[in-house]
Amino acid sequence: MVSKEEIERVAKLMRIEVDDHVVHIDRVQKMIEYFDILDKAGIESEELIVQEQTIENLREDKYVPYEEKLIEKLKNYKGTFVRAPKLI
Amino acid sequence: MVKIGLEIHCQLTKLESKLFCPCKADYRSFEPNTNICPVCIGLPGSLPRLNQKAIEKGTLISLALNCKIPEKISFFRKNYFYPDLPKNYQITQFDAYGHTSIGNNGKITIEGKEIRITRIQLEEDPGRLIYEGTSEKNKITLVDYNRAGTPLVEVVTEPDFENPKQVRVFMNILVDLLENLGVSEPSLEGAVRADGNVSIEGGNKVEIKNVGSFHDLEKAVHFEITRQQSLVERGIPIELETRQWDDRRKITVSARSKEEEQDYRYFLEGDIPWILLDPKYVDQFKQNMPESIASKRDRYIEQFKIPAQVADVLSSDKFYSDLFELAHNEKNAKEVANIITTDLMGFVDTKEKRQQSKLTSKHLSDLANAIINNTITRNSSKSALQEIVKTGKSLNEIITELDLGHVSDEFELSAVIEKVINEESIAVKEIKEKPETVNFLVGKVMKKTKGKADPSLTLELLKKKLKIY
Amino acid sequence: MNLEISALKYLDEIKNENFTVEEFISKTIEHIKKIDGNLHAFLSINEKAIQQAKEIDRKIKSKEKIGKCMGMPLSIKDNICVKDTKTTCASKMLEDFISPYDATVIKNLKSEDAIIIGKTNLDEFAMGLTTEFSAFGPSKNPWNTDYVPGGSSGGSAVSVSALECIASLGSDTGGSVRNPASFCSTVGFKPTYGLISRYGLISYSNSIEQIGPLTRTVEDTAFLLNIIAGQDPMDNTTIDNKGENYLKNLDAGIDGKKIGVISEMTKNVDKEVSSATKNAIVQFEKLGAKIEEISLDMIDYSVASYYTITATEAGSNLARYDNLRYGYDFDLEGYEFNSYISKARKNFGPEVTRRMILGGFVPSAGHAGKYFLKALKVKNKLTAEINEAFTKVDLLISPTVPILPFKFGEKIDDPVALFLIDFNTVTANLTGKPAISVPFEISNGLPIGIQIHANTLQDKLVLQAAHALEKTTNLPGVSI
Repeated sequence: MVSKEEIERVAKLMRIEVDDHVVHIDRVQKMIEYFDILDKAGIESEELIVQEQTIENLREDKYVPYEEKLIEKLKNYKGTFVRAPKLI
Repeated sequence: MVKIGLEIHCQLTKLESKLFCPCKADYRSFEPNTNICPVCIGLPGSLPRLNQKAIEKGTLISLALNCKIPEKISFFRKNYFYPDLPKNYQITQFDAYGHTSIGNNGKITIEGKEIRITRIQLEEDPGRLIYEGTSEKNKITLVDYNRAGTPLVEVVTEPDFENPKQVRVFMNILVDLLENLGVSEPSLEGAVRADGNVSIEGGNKVEIKNVGSFHDLEKAVHFEITRQQSLVERGIPIELETRQWDDRRKITVSARSKEEEQDYRYFLEGDIPWILLDPKYVDQFKQNMPESIASKRDRYIEQFKIPAQVADVLSSDKFYSDLFELAHNEKNAKEVANIITTDLMGFVDTKEKRQQSKLTSKHLSDLANAIINNTITRNSSKSALQEIVKTGKSLNEIITELDLGHVSDEFELSAVIEKVINEESIAVKEIKEKPETVNFLVGKVMKKTKGKADPSLTLELLKKKLKIY
Repeated sequence: MNLEISALKYLDEIKNENFTVEEFISKTIEHIKKIDGNLHAFLSINEKAIQQAKEIDRKIKSKEKIGKCMGMPLSIKDNICVKDTKTTCASKMLEDFISPYDATVIKNLKSEDAIIIGKTNLDEFAMGLTTEFSAFGPSKNPWNTDYVPGGSSGGSAVSVSALECIASLGSDTGGSVRNPASFCSTVGFKPTYGLISRYGLISYSNSIEQIGPLTRTVEDTAFLLNIIAGQDPMDNTTIDNKGENYLKNLDAGIDGKKIGVISEMTKNVDKEVSSATKNAIVQFEKLGAKIEEISLDMIDYSVASYYTITATEAGSNLARYDNLRYGYDFDLEGYEFNSYISKARKNFGPEVTRRMILGGFVPSAGHAGKYFLKALKVKNKLTAEINEAFTKVDLLISPTVPILPFKFGEKIDDPVALFLIDFNTVTANLTGKPAISVPFEISNGLPIGIQIHANTLQDKLVLQAAHALEKTTNLPGVSI
């Protein structure tokens, strides 16, 4: 069963302030229960198949400066830094 | 029993571009946030474009540390929130589905002790934080993302070190090796960073983070062992924790206890298909691999009969060994090695001095030949070398200008000897009883000729004059 | 001048000088202004569209080189970056985000003289299938405004069917192009994974999603593919399509082709949908195809696998929205880092918040093996099954959505019921295969689409079959 504590832990982990953790319990519980059908899929012996590429496909190591002064298009501090809250 | 393991982060500073975008890998000369693009700043919709050459460099390091190279490598996301991490996840490698990091199961022997290398992985460096403000209240954090995405190789060792000295020796060897491979310049600030973990018998493992320079690593490890031992003596249990290295006070301090256990939610990075490391490429990389330090050392001893100590020093430093290889022509190898290790290393002992030095391999070769041919004494060669480093003038010019030519003219030398015999009458009298006094007189002659006199000719002439045989 | 024309017809009209680009764009904007207050297909309109149209007219007049799109108005889902325009993902989190760069598809379209007429509505970050989860209010189905238009590319489908543009680009993670195409009676195509560059598409579940066109005709989809498909150095996951021309031999027909009807996807469907599917099978047979039933056992696990993978990837893809570098106005003075970003991220809507929580839950250390790896293995086994099926048949068909369009508010509160609406579409995403939804019937004023799949890189075969099926229909346009 999904507990309130678990929802609290995950909300914290994902850095989302949740006002009422209880409302999520039922919903997550329903979804997780639904996911449990994966246990019946008989896939224990399956191997992982993934997309592959060769080294030739990769980007050549070349310095190409970005054409614009990107910082000016971001939230910035005096046009040079990005501001962040203090870290404790 | 003390157990120490290391995690070393090394920037691949010899690459042109970042790991996943074409911004400059060496961010050091840029104004804040001018070496950024949508990819390394993590703009919505941007995608990583893996640097081909990073695979080669990672492979070289893995091979040099005797690691196994897998057939395919994959990338993972390590998820955590921090202001220097633009995507709030780091693209790194992880062995969740078999060995898919660039290297694994390696080893390296230091002073007869085998250190196992667990894993070598490619990953991106985060940006840099700058703290401003004086009090806790008005403190703000400023972020410079120029470094974000710089290619890093992380070397993870097994806890095989038994004492801080082994850690130091290992780090020195590793740093030399990285430089020799042409993948990094460890002397650049922040290019090599290391974390350690330390445990003593019966205690929990303690991680030490934030050791800014790898030179401090030995100190940090030493401090931590002493701290843990004193806890045990007092019967206090050692907690499983992470401690920060306080660079100013040179101690480790407990990192504020984490409210939650780190949960990085590692999973496969779908934006980068797995890369096939065709053995054909790995072989090619192997062939392009620079000669190892150990092999150089052995070759110097065997081929050129250079003494072991000299070969050690020469082979472990890429700057000097490159210079040596360019300067020598087999015959003068021993003399070139000698000049580098006895004199040159004293003149260009810092990075700045190396950069400013006007010395070329031709200078070095000429100088060695001049010594061998007796055109200059070993003594004067030192002054000549110093002048070359400073001015870059040719050896001949310098010999003339500074009047360093060898005095091997019998007539000229005889006049000086005559003078010395007259001045040092007491010593001359003693010579019958104490034949070694002749060396004192040779010294006097050398002094008068400012070291230019051929020492063997001087001795011969002196003996003739004083009729001692 | 009629706004109800296909892209290819538009090009003819411009070439024949029946109207100018400016005339067409002006009329389109007028039409949008008249009807979009009600339909809400758009989140923003390109203020420079008329100016751009004039420039293209000038080029045409002076016989300068002109791009293949000749100024046709296209709408773009608001999760695809268009330089110097707001790209919000229908989220308050990105309320003020102005993209400083163009997605690769946008670059390609602009270089062919397309006019981006506006950015269309979606479920926030493409998570949903009704547009009810847009932070800026839902889009309405032009066939009946009490009904949802489908999603998540709902705004795109509405804009095409309500004649607010010639064609649109959406994104399809689990049916997000095909579902609204089916609900609004437009063509909607999800190509082979890697066929179209995702550079500039704001990721939701990056390992399975693709950009795809929504158009009035199959031909128009082929036309757009010729411009936007192909390998892109900006996206490592793109694949080589050997410069395929999708328009060439589009009318090759499907005589002699073998078509499998996916039995799992025709089991639990509305009776109108079931009847439409049967009619489609009859049409395919008439066109000379051989029909057989194909069963893919893994499909029963596909939705669970899909939601596990998407929740995990979304949890990571959406982590970057911490409001430090871009986002919306919320000052950080006085806050500590973690409390600030946790508060800033409250601007995610309820569905995104739920999926973030699920996305933290599913891959977290204790559960990693339990759900995520299993989901990946189901994905693999399903792919193996469908590959096996394609050794027996050329194409696989099903209804695009098991049910008819439904009214607003009907399903929003039952997550598992919403999941099952994706049942027929997620297989193409999990297996990377191309799939299209073709408008096939209008039942009591509500559209029904038929879905056609083919094997990897057989995108053209999908279009050929869809084109053949399309020709058997004679569907009315929507009355506005």
